[in-house]
Amino acid sequence: MSEVVSEEQQEQKKGTKKKVIREDIRLQYHWYLTIFFIIYYFSWLIPVFLFFGYVNFAFLPYFLEANNFFTIFLDIKSLLSLFLMPLVIVTCYLIRLITVGIFTRIFWRITEKISPTKDGIIPRNIRSKVADYYHIRSFMIKYGKNLFTKGLFPWLAKWFFNFIGASKIGKGTTIEESVGSDKFINVGKNCYVGVNSTLASHLIQGVFGNISYFEIKLGDNVTLAGMNQIGPGSSIHTDSYLLPLASTSKHSIIKGGKNYYFGIPLRKIFKRKIMEFLNLTPEDLEKNENFEEYIQKMKEEKKVKRKNKKSIQEKSIEKENNIKGTEESKKGVKANNEQEKEETNDNYVPDEKDLTLDFTTSSAISRINIKFLAVYFPILWLAGLMVAVYWYDYTRDIENWINTLLFLPLIILAMIYIFIFGVLIFSKLILIVVNLIHKPKEGIFLAEIGDRDYEFWMLRTELKKIPFWLLRNSPLPWLDVIAFRLLGISMDFSSHLTDAWCDGEFIKIGRKVLIGQGATIMSSMVVGKYLIIKKVLFDNYVMVGGHTTIAPGTVMGQDSVIAAISSTTFGQILKPNWIYFGVPAKILKENRYAEERRDIIIKRHVDDEIKLEETHEVNIDEDKKDLIKIGDDE
Amino acid sequence: MSVPNTMRIGPFLPTILLRKRYLTFYIIIIWGSLIPLFLEFWFYWKFLWDYSRPIHFYTFLPLLIIPMYVTLVLAAIFWAKIVLFFVNLFHKPREGVFLRHYLDKDYRYWCIRNVVKRWPFWLSHRFPFPFMDNVCFKVFGVKTKFSNSLFEGWVDTEFIEFGKNVVVGQGAIVQSSVIIGNLLIIRKTIIEDDVRIGSHSIVMPGTHVGKRCVLAANSVTTVGQNLKEGWIYVGIPAKEYKKNWFFMDGIKEKIGHVGDINEILEKYDKIYLKRIDKMKERRKLKKELKEREKIRWQQEPSEDDLDSIG
Repeated sequence: MSEVVSEEQQEQKKGTKKKVIREDIRLQYHWYLTIFFIIYYFSWLIPVFLFFGYVNFAFLPYFLEANNFFTIFLDIKSLLSLFLMPLVIVTCYLIRLITVGIFTRIFWRITEKISPTKDGIIPRNIRSKVADYYHIRSFMIKYGKNLFTKGLFPWLAKWFFNFIGASKIGKGTTIEESVGSDKFINVGKNCYVGVNSTLASHLIQGVFGNISYFEIKLGDNVTLAGMNQIGPGSSIHTDSYLLPLASTSKHSIIKGGKNYYFGIPLRKIFKRKIMEFLNLTPEDLEKNENFEEYIQKMKEEKKVKRKNKKSIQEKSIEKENNIKGTEESKKGVKANNEQEKEETNDNYVPDEKDLTLDFTTSSAISRINIKFLAVYFPILWLAGLMVAVYWYDYTRDIENWINTLLFLPLIILAMIYIFIFGVLIFSKLILIVVNLIHKPKEGIFLAEIGDRDYEFWMLRTELKKIPFWLLRNSPLPWLDVIAFRLLGISMDFSSHLTDAWCDGEFIKIGRKVLIGQGATIMSSMVVGKYLIIKKVLFDNYVMVGGHTTIAPGTVMGQDSVIAAISSTTFGQILKPNWIYFGVPAKILKENRYAEERRDIIIKRHVDDEIKLEETHEVNIDEDKKDLIKIGDDE
Repeated sequence: MSVPNTMRIGPFLPTILLRKRYLTFYIIIIWGSLIPLFLEFWFYWKFLWDYSRPIHFYTFLPLLIIPMYVTLVLAAIFWAKIVLFFVNLFHKPREGVFLRHYLDKDYRYWCIRNVVKRWPFWLSHRFPFPFMDNVCFKVFGVKTKFSNSLFEGWVDTEFIEFGKNVVVGQGAIVQSSVIIGNLLIIRKTIIEDDVRIGSHSIVMPGTHVGKRCVLAANSVTTVGQNLKEGWIYVGIPAKEYKKNWFFMDGIKEKIGHVGDINEILEKYDKIYLKRIDKMKERRKLKKELKEREKIRWQQEPSEDDLDSIG
């Protein structure tokens, strides 16, 4: 697989085989940055004037300059200036959110006019205007989305998406925070989309493959319990209930009608199974089916008020009794377990099969150790000092207040990045010292305090955590590549790790690697008492799907793909140019996205278990249509 | 571990807002928790600010941020706890199956509780190292120990009990309440000592996880499932896989024996070592690759290429 050889082979075969275009997508960072700066600058402008005006004319003279602590509470002016301050801050924050919404809407509308959003597959291996504007739009929405969903008022996120016109979300619907669910979705009324359920209207297949970009439609009263991955083009009709992790592939059609769905890919499940999975009584299920009748009853009960309230209380007592019953049965099971344990507690020596690592756990150890504070303090203080000096220099002698405030949004951005890069540099310095004391190495170690390797591994991860966290939560999160390169992951600016969890060391990533949203890349894993550290290697043009777990020791060959919601096992090797799927990952098919026909869609009717082929226009510029394979080419 | 900013992690509070008036609780708690912060800042300003020579003020300002942050979180916890106390007086939180409609009192109060708890949990989690999260968990009714690490996944904030040394993996969900259809199911989840929950797996409400259990990555338990002590569970829904021997002493050398794969690994290592050992060579290779990527027309990788790996 060395590149020199492959190149020679390519040259040899150039004459014999058909050519397939393999161009890189154009990431127009200049446009991204200008749009970001405009949104960012204007969103700060009004809040800055409001806040500093208040501080200068009320907070500083009446509150901060008060002579005595007790006079603050005796003087009405100083008391008022104190009590109004939190409200001023919240108002500033809200104004900022709204301006971000307005400016994002303006840019969104402009791009929509030039190249409107529409259903269709966008080829990723041929450069086109459609793909460019798709990328610009998906970048543009990110800043606002993070600001809204991560912020103080996540309830406003629904307003944001509806306002800029990225998606339609109905009344009474709640969409929890997630990586996707932002654009080109149409959600009905009274839905609940659980935490980290991704309504992915766009799906990337292969680095030189396609972007499937189709609208997702959800009917009224649909619930996704959590972690559901919904593929592009899916339409979920009214009253369908998805259990956790139930996921669809592309273009699935779910009939709904008060049915439950479960599994990857999801299937309809029947009453007996539902009761087993959800530990429900038949009455509860009936409640769900005849929901409206129950609501009517409740309304009547509310009208009659007190007389009927007693009966509700009786019902609730019954319910409690039911729960107690199940708890008692649980205790019974537990007692049985203990008996079994006593029986099998002989001097059995585990064999090879018992000790193979054919399952994956996690490495999320982030214990709070007081010792680490000794490291944090100097880092945060020194980086904070740099910011303080910068701020002092900016405010030392102000001649023109208006000019000062006009430039303040830019100064704030500068201060954020001075702080972050200060933290980065100081933690790198400390890391060098730590690594001199104890060299990081691969292997299997005891995960207990007292083991030198384990303790230093914890120290290293804690040290790296601050700069990573800061950079990834900053306005431009893709800059985290700088931190990764500096602190131990070898990667390139052409690869993206922005939306994935990853360990801070023993990871090597090639060129143009795409790592999906919410994927976990672990070079360390805690199994029982032991900590396992092994290098993870990704070759060039690798793709990792969303919510996929990569175990330590995984090696992914060139052009290989691992699909969403799968996991590799310890030391698994994925062959180049193949697609893998499953828990644990198994070979699915060859990676031929660049060569496949793009005008055919396979619609899956989940309830009837039918697949139907349909044709759909490929979404690409008019003048480039002849470059794609359509119809009876072969 | 580094966490992507697009992912929702940490304490899990559903963002359902049944009535807009519930936000008044939220605003009151925010307002009340910011006041002590300004009073603290007043002292700092009083003793260190000097118009002609503010050097002391700026030197210690970065250090002030940590105590100020701690005060803010503690004040938020204090106010939220008081409000929650009165909310719980009106209606005690309880387990059961409820209807997802505002006429159902339990559902309504579940939403109010989530709004009230939001500000302290949000604050304590908006910091690079989540040392205040544990305090929040303990105050608002999750039984947990400081030896647990629960910060990379979502953990519900009520009706949960944890033992010692529990690790909740990246992106895992530990729930005590779930919405399915028109039902809200609330059940108590119990997780005992030394449990490892793999990344992206889901623990449903009512699950009882025994000591030294492992729930492998990408698996789900069912409501009210009982995971036996000392077993590894895999699958959707989770099933017994094999016994967990990894808590035994002295099996360090035997773990992870994977046969032939080592040979292939060596093959890969050679390629990578060649690339990385010498800086010049590495740069040269990268340059070549970049140039090749610039070439507009490229051919697919050949099949002989695949065979060389095996």
